[in-house]
Amino acid sequence: MALTTSVDVADVVDRVRDTLEDVFEAVARVRERTVAIAAVRAAGRPLTTVDLAGLRPLLHDRLRRHRDLISGIGFIAEPGLLGDAPAWLEWWQTSRDGELRPLLLDLDPHTSAYSDYTHWDWFALPRETGQRACAGPYVDYLCSDEYSLTLSVPVHHGDRFLGVAAADVYLRHFEAAVIPLLRVLPGPACLVNARGRVAASTDARHLAGSLLKRPDAADEVRRWPCGDIPLVLAQMRSA
Amino acid sequence: MLVNKLSGGALHAVFAPVGNLARVDAVVRRLADAIDLGLLADGEQLPGESELSARLGVSTVTLREALMALRQQGLVTTRRGRGGGSFVTVPDQPPAARLGHRLADWSTEELRDLGDHWAAISGTAARLAAERTEPGDLAALLRSLDEFEAAEDLAARGRIYGRFHVELAAAAQSARLTKEEIRIQAEIGALICLALGEDDGLASVARLQRALIRAVRDGDAEQAGSLAERRVRDAMARLIELRLADSGQGLSGPDPPGRP
Repeated sequence: MALTTSVDVADVVDRVRDTLEDVFEAVARVRERTVAIAAVRAAGRPLTTVDLAGLRPLLHDRLRRHRDLISGIGFIAEPGLLGDAPAWLEWWQTSRDGELRPLLLDLDPHTSAYSDYTHWDWFALPRETGQRACAGPYVDYLCSDEYSLTLSVPVHHGDRFLGVAAADVYLRHFEAAVIPLLRVLPGPACLVNARGRVAASTDARHLAGSLLKRPDAADEVRRWPCGDIPLVLAQMRSA
Repeated sequence: MLVNKLSGGALHAVFAPVGNLARVDAVVRRLADAIDLGLLADGEQLPGESELSARLGVSTVTLREALMALRQQGLVTTRRGRGGGSFVTVPDQPPAARLGHRLADWSTEELRDLGDHWAAISGTAARLAAERTEPGDLAALLRSLDEFEAAEDLAARGRIYGRFHVELAAAAQSARLTKEEIRIQAEIGALICLALGEDDGLASVARLQRALIRAVRDGDAEQAGSLAERRVRDAMARLIELRLADSGQGLSGPDPPGRP
């Protein structure tokens, strides 16, 4: 009979954490590069979209390097930051055909109902808390139409908030990465975000997208934090 | 500014394949609606014929026929030679009159069927949203409701009404329902502004949206579903009434057969 020790579970949560820490590492590089670009401009004129184009080689490299997990990456400017555009996303995506493409949004409030991106968790959370954030799972109808996680960090130059650096992980890719890890456990398990929404699951009763609030979860055994990643692993009773 | 209005997110829908409608009509509707909604701006250049026909999923011949119809409606100008191409022309006519013209392209049967489909998508989305929602999901819907009530013109109100539907589908945690909602909106397009009506109509639409948000918040799936369906049915019923009143009320459309 298989016995799980807490060591086994600790190993699984470590590997889940490492999976997302790799993504955060790529995001941190985007932040560093953005700050470096801002530092060059600090004394003179304001940053422009042309300056931000300097991020592209890094963005392309990270999309290629993390092809299995990261499908979109870039920097999203705080509105009013840039000298030549009221709002801007320097955002690149791997399309279904494998090509790397920029995201070009209509950010004109007179024509688009989707021009204000500052309400989305991936922007609002890092701006409000000053901390990194793991937004989702959510339906990203702004950028990809995919069910996604977006990992983001605030970008500051000195005291000034410039915007956020972020990367998209489509949920199907996240699932492919973490389900094999969860299957090592003897019983079913869910990865649950800070709001109680399931992000990945080996429990058919609680699938990704559903809510697993603690008081409802009579079939829940124990929760384990995943390091500094705002997900918990919930071990469930076998069906 | 480098922003390309023709791509990204919900706007992909403008140039997504037009599906199984009579193709020329479908292309004409799609592009004319995008112009009326302001998704395509005055003077904006459309993609080249081969790119545009590939993206819409129609043959070049079909696209040319559609562009010809759009030229006849004064919505597109084509210039030849170097720097040439097809450009959007926004007519001076007030939006309501142009929309009335657009409505005449639909039969009441097509409108009824679209309403059935839309109610199915919206109702299911609302039911699932009620089951899967948590307070953070409601912020977007509440903001849209406020903006809907504060909107200053028809086009802005229609856009925000559409966004409310998309946000509701996203709260259902379903990428497919969200995409379908966006697709249906691209199809019905600017006509929805007519369905929203003025004053009295607006107040009742806002009341219904408020009740819908409450039902989703309270996790009352059945109530949320039936309110969402009613919202769509009410809107489509107004459109169908307008369409039936068409010839009598002078909304411009094709002359009925047999009239001199």
